[in-house]
Amino acid sequence: MHTRNLIACALVLVSLLVSACATRVEVDGNFPAALTHKLPLRSVVVFDEAFASHRFESTQGPEVSVFVGQIQVELFTGLADSLFQYSSTSTKMPTNSEADLILVPNVEDVQISMPNESQLKVFEVWIKYNLQVFKPTGEPVADWIMTAYGKTPTRFLKSNTDALQQASMVAMRDAGAHFITGFARVPEIQQWLRHRSTSTSESSGSTPL
Amino acid sequence: MKSLTALIMLTLLITLSACTTTTVDEYRENSTALTLASGERVVVLGRRHYADYETEPDFIDCIGEKLKADKEILVLPEKEFVDLLYPWFEPRTAPLGLKRLAKMLDEPMIAQRFKEQGLHYMIWIDGSTETTDRDGSVSCAVGPGGGGCFGFATWEKTGTYEAIIWDLQTLKESGRVKVEARGSSYMVAIILPIPIVAQVQDQACDGIGLQLRTFFMGNRAGEAS
Repeated sequence: MHTRNLIACALVLVSLLVSACATRVEVDGNFPAALTHKLPLRSVVVFDEAFASHRFESTQGPEVSVFVGQIQVELFTGLADSLFQYSSTSTKMPTNSEADLILVPNVEDVQISMPNESQLKVFEVWIKYNLQVFKPTGEPVADWIMTAYGKTPTRFLKSNTDALQQASMVAMRDAGAHFITGFARVPEIQQWLRHRSTSTSESSGSTPL
Repeated sequence: MKSLTALIMLTLLITLSACTTTTVDEYRENSTALTLASGERVVVLGRRHYADYETEPDFIDCIGEKLKADKEILVLPEKEFVDLLYPWFEPRTAPLGLKRLAKMLDEPMIAQRFKEQGLHYMIWIDGSTETTDRDGSVSCAVGPGGGGCFGFATWEKTGTYEAIIWDLQTLKESGRVKVEARGSSYMVAIILPIPIVAQVQDQACDGIGLQLRTFFMGNRAGEAS
């Protein structure tokens, strides 16, 4: 019995030590409304399960786990509200949608750099998004590869968790800046917008927003 | 008793030598002081677009505090400004020059937001505080009978910052202030480690903050008297 207790204690101690070495971050925060002109469009943003529960995990070197799923759903919901006249969200690709376009954001890659790896005194976070844009019929309009970058300097007595949380928030804001300033400049989207405005002005029955 | 006195003397000596030297340079477009009408504000922003460093947010806050110390200058906090103008003052989108800012202000929505906030001057701060030299070492050990540290370590920090003032009404540069602060810090360990840290960033903030105030305070002081 005594040996059993000793083993249990040792196991608890070892697991505590192992978890003390790991960095687990659940990114949370708020984003301001974007100061931009609204495009006269109705949009649906589709957040699939993989996107809404995305977690970056690295086991090379010290274990790092960063959960960005929820915060990026909040980010893209807010961005769509700011950029489009009307916007809604869905967890599935809509059929027979009344929207003008459907946006499906996907996370292609997440990379994290810690000061002990880069020899720089900054924590860095890169996120590569693939923003797929579809017509309501499901026909693709564009595959926009959108990168976001955030960094935060190391600070005395600042934990890795706090630093990664901060760097991730900077990266998210950067993604927002890229989305707002770049959406209408993506050549395929630009072409679609031009074509749409021509066709809506030509067709007498349609009611453009 | 003698050894205790010697130890105190040594600590005092090191404390005195752990000071910071600050050099401040300034450039003014003209000798007249910058004016702020009633309700007009200043915003202080840090440059964050470089890959290897970024101007510390607490340094920007410190300069803001120095500017508004006597409540003569109204300062819009950096975070509030960046959120109000999101996404136009993020590291990716912030204007690096006056031409770009002028183009940005051609957009009525952005210009309106500036007007609503009563902004007259924008001060950009670029720089950071880095550890430039390090020497010595301190070792600590713990044993069954107790533990302690022994050794001596020293490190030097240099803070280099430049402030550029933009007049948002004339869209011209009003002046620049450059500050360089250096300081050596020490750690003496005889059983207990005693750090003697030079406040390099605080000194740089004092230097740049007080100098920036002189750009505005000339006229304000004149108006008051």
